[in-house]
Amino acid sequence: MKIVSRSDLRQKSEQVLKFVRPVLGIAVSLFIVYRLVQVLFIEHTYGPDTWTRLLITGLILGGVYALVAIGYTLVYGILFMINFAHGEVMMIGAFGGYFVFEILKVIQVSSASTNFLNAYPVLSIIFAFIAGMFISALLGYFLEKIAYRPLRSAPRLVPLISAIGASIFLQNAVMLLFSSQLRNYTNPDILTRGNGWTIVINNSNVVITYTGVFSFALSIVLMIVLYTIVRKTKLGRAMRAVALDKKTAALMGVDVNRTISQAFIMSGALAGAAGVMWGIHNGMIYYYTGFIPGIKAFTAAVLGGIGNLPGAMLGGLFLGVVESIGPAALGIDYQLKDVIAFLILIVVLIFKPSGLLGESLAEEKV
Amino acid sequence: MKKSALRQSLNLGVVFGIVHVFCVLVGFNTLVGILLAKLVGVTTTGSTPATGALVAYGALLALWAGLLSARHQDSTDKRLLASTLTGLAMGLVAAALALVLLLLVKNKSSVRDYLTVLSLPFMKACLYKLTNAFGILANFATFFVGAVVGGLLSVLWNLPIANHIRQAISNGWKAATAWIKSGSPRANNIKKYIFFVLLFALVALLPLKWGSYWNYVMGTVGLYVILGLGLNIIVGLSGQLVLGYIAFFAIGAYTMALLNAPEPHHLMWGFWPALLLGIILAAISGLLIGLPIMRLRGDYLAIVTLGFGEIIRIMLKSDVLTTFTGGPRGIQDIHGPTLFGRAFNDIDYMYLIILAMLLAIYIYQRLQHSRSGRAWMAVREDETVARASGVDTGKYKLLALMIGAAFAGLAGGIYAARNQFTGPDEHALMASVNVLCLIIVGGMGNVPGTLLGAFTLKGLPEILREVENFRMLAFGALLVAMMILRPAGLIPSQRPTLTLPEEPQESTPPISAETSEEKKRGGVK
Repeated sequence: MKIVSRSDLRQKSEQVLKFVRPVLGIAVSLFIVYRLVQVLFIEHTYGPDTWTRLLITGLILGGVYALVAIGYTLVYGILFMINFAHGEVMMIGAFGGYFVFEILKVIQVSSASTNFLNAYPVLSIIFAFIAGMFISALLGYFLEKIAYRPLRSAPRLVPLISAIGASIFLQNAVMLLFSSQLRNYTNPDILTRGNGWTIVINNSNVVITYTGVFSFALSIVLMIVLYTIVRKTKLGRAMRAVALDKKTAALMGVDVNRTISQAFIMSGALAGAAGVMWGIHNGMIYYYTGFIPGIKAFTAAVLGGIGNLPGAMLGGLFLGVVESIGPAALGIDYQLKDVIAFLILIVVLIFKPSGLLGESLAEEKV
Repeated sequence: MKKSALRQSLNLGVVFGIVHVFCVLVGFNTLVGILLAKLVGVTTTGSTPATGALVAYGALLALWAGLLSARHQDSTDKRLLASTLTGLAMGLVAAALALVLLLLVKNKSSVRDYLTVLSLPFMKACLYKLTNAFGILANFATFFVGAVVGGLLSVLWNLPIANHIRQAISNGWKAATAWIKSGSPRANNIKKYIFFVLLFALVALLPLKWGSYWNYVMGTVGLYVILGLGLNIIVGLSGQLVLGYIAFFAIGAYTMALLNAPEPHHLMWGFWPALLLGIILAAISGLLIGLPIMRLRGDYLAIVTLGFGEIIRIMLKSDVLTTFTGGPRGIQDIHGPTLFGRAFNDIDYMYLIILAMLLAIYIYQRLQHSRSGRAWMAVREDETVARASGVDTGKYKLLALMIGAAFAGLAGGIYAARNQFTGPDEHALMASVNVLCLIIVGGMGNVPGTLLGAFTLKGLPEILREVENFRMLAFGALLVAMMILRPAGLIPSQRPTLTLPEEPQESTPPISAETSEEKKRGGVK
């Protein structure tokens, strides 16, 4: 009798939930629509120029999020673990680029009577990206080898705790090595922050910065490259095979350990590129730079459906735009922009854990 | 000796060399040197220790490398060869570092803008104050000799005589433990009671003798024990990884602060009602947060609770709630309880914390062995099976979250009243991670582990003031190392086991790609 009554209870609670969920959803969307109408058509707080500015900021931020999110998705799709230290990989990539710029700044080129950085700006930027991506890829490789590989057959929470530990370790190692001060990224003169093309909207100037366009374009290019690798090459096929079923993939002649290492290297390289972009565009880096973008990129990956590459890209861009426009659109304090990102994360995980585009790289996860 | 073994020893040497370089670049070598000097009784002036202490640091690191390298070999000459090779590789890496340092010292170039610890005196100290080629040679020699000595020790350890000594020691240990365990259960109980009475007397008397500083430190340890026990109910017993646990602590602390501080509201309810309300509010918020997220998988749950914790912190820190919660500056002048008309002093707080801690331990122990405790463990081991066996998993998971949150509310209330201050930065994510660390290091799901963990992570850094900067670094490394080496913690929980000897443990044969690393693990779920 008791058991029956309990299952009744559960059924009842499920019914209540079924009723509550759409009601809550409708209430929240009504509130959002109400605020939007209020802000856009009644209060007229911001003109179209401000909206354009916010949209541009959001897209640039979204490009960085998307690159980092791809790393989360790639690793989660294969190992079903959240690589909690991924944000730190990005931060260390940013430091790699920073040191390249610092070194090139010191080298004098006599023929151009200026330093290397401004004599050969394109070459310098390429060097910075190569260094950042290389260091991050190396870090990703060793991270997997030291902190995750010994735990591959352990219960699911063990690698997660190990990843949290790696994240704390890397943050503090960087803090002790390079001190906790904010460091100013020195860009070549052609990419001076704040310079850009000016367009006139609604009688006011909207600046589209060179750094922004550069980092957005580069992130799109990198995403296309990665997507081609995963979809078209032998390596990509091996990755997808390992993501589907490790044991069967091993029987088919795929070197599982190697493939997983390659996934970590690729996600690390992307995070490194994202880190250098972050430095070039935002200008300030320190040991905590990677943490919050890392969590937001994870949000983006979940939003798009973790394990789904196009989902991570779209999720990243979407999150960047929402975070930038959200506070203004909903008329709330700009300090609460992080709350929006976290709320999106919570809402998506509770109501649609498979994300907007669904999880496509892997199927069975429990 | 096989080629792979040779390469292994060389690799080990290079790895340890890199560890040494990292230690130097973050200044860890001087810390070890200072601690070693302190141990011997030499007082250090300034930030760099005496040359001897730095040599000791290098030799100890190399000794460890040599021991590790020799451990895998099976005969005397192989052991010596392996440790020599390791020492060679390590010495070369150290010599390369010394060369770089020497060049920097010779050119008087300062890289402190980029690598903060590399000041001129520090670099000179690392070269053992020899600013010429001898500095490099001395560095090489330290590590080489250290590793070879390690190899020799390993050889000695494996000699037949040493074997006898080891045997004797282990026999003695066994005899001692057997004596403690011998006798009737009644006599054992008496021994146990005597032990507890002694312990209790110690705990009861120490706060009077300690002075305010140690009362403060040990009080913090006690509060972290309460927090650890609360999180242990959630993570250790019912197996849900919750990362935003400190949010419940914040609710307790802010309830105490808002009701008992003159600044934002001037309510002045008094300590006890505020404490009780804090506990209740924390438990209710545990329920409210738990309701929607109970269906999530392990790592999603971790991220969602992390999100909740961050949202609460950002809200507290923003200007939006300043009129209500004091904003980023926090709340000052929180009034504490009074005893016969006078305000609590540090000794009274210490006793209050000890009482709260004992209460928490008692409740925890009773819960662990109750019906709910068994249900939680069933949920932790396998939720599907637990549900199939008639455990209402949702209810018990919520119950765990509520009780754990209530523990945090209790700790938060006392914490805010004792410090007379609370602010948003005290409730950052790192505090949650600290609590998680302490239960993982100590051992999931048991009381002695939590006590040990709280003392190791909160008390020890206060005793060793010098390690302050390296504390979080060590936490991170410790978490990874614990997960790999001892996932069950320093004091593993004893869990009821029933083994069937004939049955093979794993029904599927291991497959090539995962063979070498596959091990059966208990520990955290």
